[in-house]
Amino acid sequence: MSMPVLEVGNLTVDAGEIVALLGGNGAGKTALLEAVLGIRPASGPVVLFGRDVSAMTVEQRVSLGVGYVPEGRRVFAGLTVRENLEVASLLPAVGRDRRIEEMLALFPMLGERPEARAWLLSGGQQQMLALARALMNRPRLLLMDEPTLGLAPLVVADLLRRLPRMAVDGTAIVLAEQRAGLALTVAGRGLVLRRGQIIRTGSAAELAADPGLADLMAGG
Amino acid sequence: MRALGPFWIAILLLPPVLALTVLPPFGQRMVVLVGIYALMGLGYQLVFGQLGALNLAQGALFGVGAYAAALAAPALGWLALSVAIVAAAVPAAIAAGPILRLQSHYFALATLALASIVNLVAIHAEAVTGGANGVSGFASALPRGSVLLAIVWACLVMGVLAYSRLFGGRLGEEARLVREAPLVAATLGIDGGRWRVAAFIAGGSLAGLSGAFAAALNGVVSPDVTGFPVMVLCLTSVVVGGSRHPMGAVLGAVLAVCLPELLRDFQGAWLLVYAAATLAVVLWAPGGLAEGIDRLRGAPLPVRPEPAVPERLLPAAGPQRLVLADVAKRFGGVEALSDVSLAIERGEIVGLIGPNGSGKTTLLNVICGLDRADSGTIKLDTAHLERLPPHAIARHGLGRSFQSNMLPGDTRSAGLARAISTHAAFLLLDEPAAGATDREREQLASLLRRLRDAGRGVVIVDHDIDLLARVCDRLICLDRGKVIAVGRPADVRANPDVRASFLGLEEAVA
Amino acid sequence: MAYALVALGFVLALNAAGAVNFAHGDLVVLGGAVAVLAGQMTGLPAPLLLPLVALVLAVAGIIAARISILPLVSRPPEATFVATIALAAIVEQGLTFGLGAAPRTAPALAGSGSFEIAGFALGRQPMAIVAIGGVLVAAVWFLLERTQTGRRMRAVSADRYMARAVGIPVGRYIMLSLALAGALAGIAGLLLGHQFLVAPTQGAGHMLKAYIAVALGGWGSVPGALLGALGIGFFETFGSVWLGDAWASAALYAGVLVVLAFRPQGLFGEPVGRRA
Repeated sequence: MSMPVLEVGNLTVDAGEIVALLGGNGAGKTALLEAVLGIRPASGPVVLFGRDVSAMTVEQRVSLGVGYVPEGRRVFAGLTVRENLEVASLLPAVGRDRRIEEMLALFPMLGERPEARAWLLSGGQQQMLALARALMNRPRLLLMDEPTLGLAPLVVADLLRRLPRMAVDGTAIVLAEQRAGLALTVAGRGLVLRRGQIIRTGSAAELAADPGLADLMAGG
Repeated sequence: MRALGPFWIAILLLPPVLALTVLPPFGQRMVVLVGIYALMGLGYQLVFGQLGALNLAQGALFGVGAYAAALAAPALGWLALSVAIVAAAVPAAIAAGPILRLQSHYFALATLALASIVNLVAIHAEAVTGGANGVSGFASALPRGSVLLAIVWACLVMGVLAYSRLFGGRLGEEARLVREAPLVAATLGIDGGRWRVAAFIAGGSLAGLSGAFAAALNGVVSPDVTGFPVMVLCLTSVVVGGSRHPMGAVLGAVLAVCLPELLRDFQGAWLLVYAAATLAVVLWAPGGLAEGIDRLRGAPLPVRPEPAVPERLLPAAGPQRLVLADVAKRFGGVEALSDVSLAIERGEIVGLIGPNGSGKTTLLNVICGLDRADSGTIKLDTAHLERLPPHAIARHGLGRSFQSNMLPGDTRSAGLARAISTHAAFLLLDEPAAGATDREREQLASLLRRLRDAGRGVVIVDHDIDLLARVCDRLICLDRGKVIAVGRPADVRANPDVRASFLGLEEAVA
Repeated sequence: MAYALVALGFVLALNAAGAVNFAHGDLVVLGGAVAVLAGQMTGLPAPLLLPLVALVLAVAGIIAARISILPLVSRPPEATFVATIALAAIVEQGLTFGLGAAPRTAPALAGSGSFEIAGFALGRQPMAIVAIGGVLVAAVWFLLERTQTGRRMRAVSADRYMARAVGIPVGRYIMLSLALAGALAGIAGLLLGHQFLVAPTQGAGHMLKAYIAVALGGWGSVPGALLGALGIGFFETFGSVWLGDAWASAALYAGVLVVLAFRPQGLFGEPVGRRA
């Protein structure tokens, strides 16, 4: 399939691709992801899987195959692990339960305590829960916003190792990160955002080798 | 808001003048009643309008005043009026301490519970209050007729004029800060707690006084005066009239007294109309009737002076050094700051950099008292700041501006200007350049240099490293709560640890 | 038990709309009034009136929030307080206007009379209230804890932004919660309406008790609100034996003040506010 998964502004993402969205605080990374998801109005057209979805609601876009891992994880604190997964599912009960079991198996640290209330989980467990929640409907496009923030190095490594595996299965991933070095270890391409504009693009290798990258990133 | 113009003063004086010259006794009575409600409403404006706290005990305090006056009048005569004020102010003062700390929904509940107790006591403590029959037979000891009218309206006119003068200026701006951005108010040295207690007691006193007048007017005090309907009347009339406008309470009271007369043929309908009007005002015209009239007659809208950076930055008095030693702060299991030590002199600009979540804003919060350090010391010269509330720290000479505009309607630089105008010796600036254009960045840079020349010490957090490198004397880089580099900007920028922390490289190794 | 229904509805509406509804007590009275009128007009027995009252009040609950809460979400909380107080006054006055101020009796659920169990005389009506209340509380619990709809309602109240982001049609679930809140209020009105009659001025009292229950039980916590309501019920029943009705209420309010003075976050804290 040659059709891009996402086209917005001058950003195009193909199936199975991991694109790092780099930039400092306030560079516009979250705004871009939210516009794709439809939770914030976009300034131009948003095309998902070849269809212009500008007029679609968030629910419709999610059911087309978009998953979202927000900054700060935002798991539903009073709900249990299982319930957090359940509410995100668009499937009827039988398929839903099967998918939850798959997720609990995929994330052993969740599988250990599926009935725990989410606010009792550690930061790392919450981040995995947020990711599992976003994967419930087998998205073809996964949007992740600063998923490594505030996590212990081991958890970060675990998280990042998972992304290429998902990409191999055809999921496209847009990974917004301030920590460019981290993101570029898993991404194929990167873009640097500043004040809402893409100011630099390149392959991960190119960007990682660029000595000026730290200044671009820090430039706000 | 500003002092009342001749238009409003004329309207304010119209009812008593009419009452004393042309109106029949029945009309006089209505005018007195307007005065009484307006006085209660004026007191209510202090707490509800100025502080934005939903106090549901004002009606009960009105009732307390009425009972106090009725019970004290036979023995004390007119002095009973002052007894009524005290009787209402004392419970207000006692309750103020614990109640005013509460969040809005608990504050409303607490005042409602207080009011319910007063109401129950009035009905059931028959030995004192006469139960459902109430208290009577005291009226001859209190002012009556035109004397009462004159006293009530004299109090009201003085009250309205004092209110408009007070809140037309600095105090009004302070009240707005306490109401809409309590954190900003605290970092400007405004003691919000004392403010609230004062307003609550003053408002309660006015309620007590107006209750006493109501007792004098009616000659009978029954439990009805403490009931919830009185409270609803007070609330709705202040909202309809205008909850902050100096004439709001008066206009609301006029309507509350006249509507029942106009709709006399439809019993009870007036309250329905009034409640509907209140709802409409809340939904579509939050300024109330008084502001609407101001707009209709084309009165210049109250211009809020835009806070501006003073033309000349005078050398500020106060401490010479800000010193932090081993400051640590944890949130849950996360170490937000660990063993941060630094010293800043007057006349120095220090830039604080570091990736997101490295603890920059937390550090500023801990210094200015919005967050408490778990350990370590923070000193301005010899004065310890660790245990002081934010407003006290601000008064020691420490100013603070916030990341985003905390107040609706502020321009981007207003918060910065406000902090500078306190003449604080040390300033903590959180991302003053966020969202600024290149030109605004230049202005900011020159402002920072002026601050240095005026002998201020500045700590600035920003993501624009170029800007910081140009104006700062030193840069401090934080990473996960630790200081990883301090020094001249060029050195810090070249530091490999700093570069790695911005790219997150150290994680990839882990 | 009827308090529990009132408090349950109050907390559902609170969570869904994010604001205290001062008119909730008046929805209870409205429920009683609808029961009185419908009883008179149709002559149906009370058990058949229940669903009717629930339906009417479900609509009323939505309308109330549409008017006085949802348009004000971006304003300070005081704006919704005032708006719902005004709405409460409108309902109260409207009822006074329509029904007259005199108390009316709602149809009885189970006839009058009493029967004896283990030597205690138990009124049929109170027993019916307890039974229906218990069943409804259990049903709501089942809905919230065991069904996808209920879980989604809870997700919406926990984090509206995130609920939208995972594809939940948030608006629909808010309306559902409000309708449920209204229906519970209406049923409570019908249940209370026989024993304590229906009078337009009772609204404030119902609202205050629900408010207290929710404040003591933990702001926004559903089980907390139920516990709080049951606690208030027990306190009033036993307190009034010792102190008389009025002083028992006064003691309750004084207790609330003391609790708030020493534990400004309510008796059991605010579990919902805990977002790591």
